[in-house]
Amino acid sequence: MTTQQNAIDNVAASSRIRETGIGWHKALGAARRLGGYGYPALAFVLLFGGWELAVRIFRINPLTLPAPSGILNALFSDFSFYLDHAGVTLYEAIVGFVIGSALALIGGVLMAHSPALERMLLPIAVLANVTPIVAIAPLLIIWFGFGSFPKMLIAAIITFFPMLVNSITGFRSIDQNNYEYLRSLHASKAEIFFKLRLPNSLPYLFSASKTCITLSVIGAVVAEWSGADKGLGNLVMVFSNYMQIEKMFAAIAMLAAMGIVLTAVIRIVEQRALYWHSSTQTREG
Amino acid sequence: MTYISVNRVSKKFRRRGQVTEALRDIAIHLEEGTFVSLIGPSGCGKSTLLRIIGGLETADEGEVLVEGVAPLEAQSHKRFGFVPQAPALFPWRTILENMRLPFEVNRKGGRQTPEQTEEAKELLHSVGLGDFLNAYPKELSGGMQQRVGIVRAFASGAPILLMDEPFSALDEITRERIRYQLMEIWDSHKKTVVFVTHSIREAVFLSDKVVVMSSRPGRVTEIVDIDLPRPRRHELEETEEYLRYVHHIKGLLRERWEH
Repeated sequence: MTTQQNAIDNVAASSRIRETGIGWHKALGAARRLGGYGYPALAFVLLFGGWELAVRIFRINPLTLPAPSGILNALFSDFSFYLDHAGVTLYEAIVGFVIGSALALIGGVLMAHSPALERMLLPIAVLANVTPIVAIAPLLIIWFGFGSFPKMLIAAIITFFPMLVNSITGFRSIDQNNYEYLRSLHASKAEIFFKLRLPNSLPYLFSASKTCITLSVIGAVVAEWSGADKGLGNLVMVFSNYMQIEKMFAAIAMLAAMGIVLTAVIRIVEQRALYWHSSTQTREG
Repeated sequence: MTYISVNRVSKKFRRRGQVTEALRDIAIHLEEGTFVSLIGPSGCGKSTLLRIIGGLETADEGEVLVEGVAPLEAQSHKRFGFVPQAPALFPWRTILENMRLPFEVNRKGGRQTPEQTEEAKELLHSVGLGDFLNAYPKELSGGMQQRVGIVRAFASGAPILLMDEPFSALDEITRERIRYQLMEIWDSHKKTVVFVTHSIREAVFLSDKVVVMSSRPGRVTEIVDIDLPRPRRHELEETEEYLRYVHHIKGLLRERWEH
């Protein structure tokens, strides 16, 4: 079946649900025929279709909850505007994520090789982790101003801890037989790191990355609330102050889309890098 | 001059105040190009002895000389091909890449020549793994993985192979087949092998010399020279001479248990 036909079927199935409220098994049948994407697509259609219907049937005030159609309208009537702001937030989140990850990897290497250093530094990292970092955002704005830097800093700090813990675990949890094999060849510490510890840590690092990339977006948005002149977080704040709820939702939709894209990118890189690992084996072969 | 000499080696392990005497006063001398097995009950220190020879652990007392130098120095010149209990294959490397691994680290100890790459491939073919050169370890069964581990040691350019119960995780049938394959490869390479096992039949079949050890503390009970003709094939295991050696060593080990 072609994808076009799939799409038509899908639309047909969803419209049947909307029109009649019956035809469940037909909709499920269409979803099944679409394979892996069918069921999630059906769920989304139900969610947003239900939302749209609810707003229309119950005549919900758009200032309380705008319909999806209204949100999409707001978004695409001025798409480049939202795109600009999304670019700012994306930049802050990604740079913060990269800096936080890089520092965590360096810390992980040091701590994985020196238990003394780990015992000294890990408590500080734990302290930084249990402190709600977003709470110090206003302070960082005071120190560093309204620009992108304090947002990157928040995103970096939020990324740091999960990456650190996972990298230490990944560097340490090596197969003892493999480790001894390298030792029997008189491999240096650096060789053991690059040939064994680093590849071994990749599943842990990717798992942490998927969490941290969304956390860094959250960090950037919250930091923008504390004071910014650009970015999606800033837009959410401004539009909520002016009660422009549809536009506010449009900014939120952009944030959601950003999260999806970032996670998907990491997933794709992960699939390529972890070809050898059992976690990347697909269920349907 | 002996090729590998172990002179009055002792080793103790301390764990939470408790001292275990792993090895006491071990003395053995191994000739170049011979196959030597270390056999004994668990806890007799046979693996520890192997690891001391390979420079993975140090002796508390006594001295080990490998080709006239200390184990760590021999290790730095890549004189050892180590085969641990589990195959020690890196899961992100293909079989051929795993075969290349010993040449990629400690490069001043020696790099891989094109002839050695060819040799690696030929050896893999000879043990029936010719179709798996570019497969990943997880695609191979446990027995196939261990065969790669053994073949890698032979193809690594190291003259001394240290095998630490390499067949212990395998089922009986696979274990026998790999034992015969190991014998065939060894016949054509004649490396010095130190082989730790707890199978008497395995030790007698493979070895020129069997070092029988007892436990707590680990000491050498007797060194048995196995004077059976080579090349050895599976028919040997039916002969009377073979079985006499097996019974003799079984007796030595039993004597010790009854103490």
